[in-house]
Amino acid sequence: MTFVHQHVWGWQIATYLFLGGLGGATFAISAILHLFEGCDRKMLSVAVLSSIGFLVLGTVFLLADMLQPLKAAYALTNPNSWIFWGVIFINFYFLAAIVYVIPLLEEWPKLLPIIQKIPAPLLSLLERFNRLAALGGSAAGFLIAIYTGLLISAAPAISFWNTPALPLLFVISGFSTGAAYLLLLSTFSKKETAWKISEKLEQLDAVLIVSELIILGAYFNFALFLPTGARESAQYLFNSPVFIIGFFIAGLLIPLAIETYGIFFSGHSKKSNSLLAFASALVLIGGYLLRFFVLSAGLYQYPW
Amino acid sequence: MARYGMVIDMRTCVGCQACMVACTTENQTPFWSDKFRTHVEDKEQGNYPDVHRVMLPRLCMHCENTPCLSACPTGATYKTKDGIVLVNYDRCIGCYACCIACPYDARYPYESDDVNRERELYGSNATHEVPHVDKCTFCQHRISLHTEPACVSTCPTHTRIFGDLDDPASEVHKIATSGKAAALNQGLGTSPKVFYIPS
Ligand code: SF4
Ligand code: SF4
Repeated sequence: MTFVHQHVWGWQIATYLFLGGLGGATFAISAILHLFEGCDRKMLSVAVLSSIGFLVLGTVFLLADMLQPLKAAYALTNPNSWIFWGVIFINFYFLAAIVYVIPLLEEWPKLLPIIQKIPAPLLSLLERFNRLAALGGSAAGFLIAIYTGLLISAAPAISFWNTPALPLLFVISGFSTGAAYLLLLSTFSKKETAWKISEKLEQLDAVLIVSELIILGAYFNFALFLPTGARESAQYLFNSPVFIIGFFIAGLLIPLAIETYGIFFSGHSKKSNSLLAFASALVLIGGYLLRFFVLSAGLYQYPW
Repeated sequence: MARYGMVIDMRTCVGCQACMVACTTENQTPFWSDKFRTHVEDKEQGNYPDVHRVMLPRLCMHCENTPCLSACPTGATYKTKDGIVLVNYDRCIGCYACCIACPYDARYPYESDDVNRERELYGSNATHEVPHVDKCTFCQHRISLHTEPACVSTCPTHTRIFGDLDDPASEVHKIATSGKAAALNQGLGTSPKVFYIPS
């Protein structure tokens, strides 16, 4: 029995997985908040545009890692493959997000001349489907976030990945990075509505971090008690200072402490604004490190 | 319709690696990048003082339940009616999903540098024209001419035995059904078609 590090998927794919989860979750959280809470449309348009940007960039990283990116359309052939579904989810997401964001762009005076070029019937159609696009795009965003975990869990010989705990971990972590990104955005806005929303986001992110900690506990518990490659992988991660300090302490515990302080002790006062921005940035860096390290801890268990 | 498979007799392999060389020349695999379709693993077995070396030749197991095929989004990986798992070079986008899914380290990327090097070495006879993920084909081009795979014909110790697992008269069928030989990592449920007689 030998354990060998996989080396076919490196930081480029980690970036793709990170941006996929971040983009999908950013859209889902902002559209849902919009539907149920109402919010600052300007900020919302920035959030949705950046979520589109994250997914475009993520796709670029995926394509750049391929041997033949120009033939990528062939990926729509085999529905048994997760990549097939990833392509479907991402394209569906792009469609919904674009339909959703165009009416929002009217908030930007500079963009108004461009928006006005769109024929009025089309524009009113887009507005009519706004709620549907918000819901459809959120569902697609959620599916993208979970797909990033499903993609790598389809590896029978990499037992650290081949578990349903991984998609769960990635989806929770993806939503936590999405909430953190929106929180970061809201700290830049001077409007009262943005400030109210940021309180919600702070609570959401704290809840997500706590859930992530629980899943991590279960995940490592499973990995450490099986005499397989999963145990080797878990030990590898425990012995990686950047994983422990960068992801676990700086990317989870410190932001959780800051957010808990904000929620319970400072009554979400504006003084904690820069502290909140700092916590959000940490969550984002932690989210990237998680994916990078999970990929590099992928160990094949070979029978020789 | 056949169901091709291989038996590898670990009692007789001497680790000469002639199979690796034969495969490399037959299939123009990129030895210059240290990538091969078949390897001979040199293992230590047992605990001190009862330790011995064993040779374990390995290749694509042409799994019956084929994780690489399920993972391949493009349909580039496919199975012939004779159960041989192949890659259509022109359809492969090189996403590596198959490499991640394969439990037997049977695949490697034939990168554009490798394609160029191959062209330098083999000129117009080069067979890998575009970058793709590459793997053992059981020398399908030879089977169709009723010849054995290159590694099998080359092996000086008759360690590799090839044939139709469904043909009751074949040597592979007899050994595979005798209980003397077993597939590797059966717990994964891949149902490999390469069987090993332990040393
Ligand atoms: S050994 Fe690997 S490449 Fe060969 S059929 Fe099985 S999974 Fe596919
Ligand atoms: S690398 Fe090629 S053969 Fe492998 S999964 Fe991707 S498209 Fe299929």
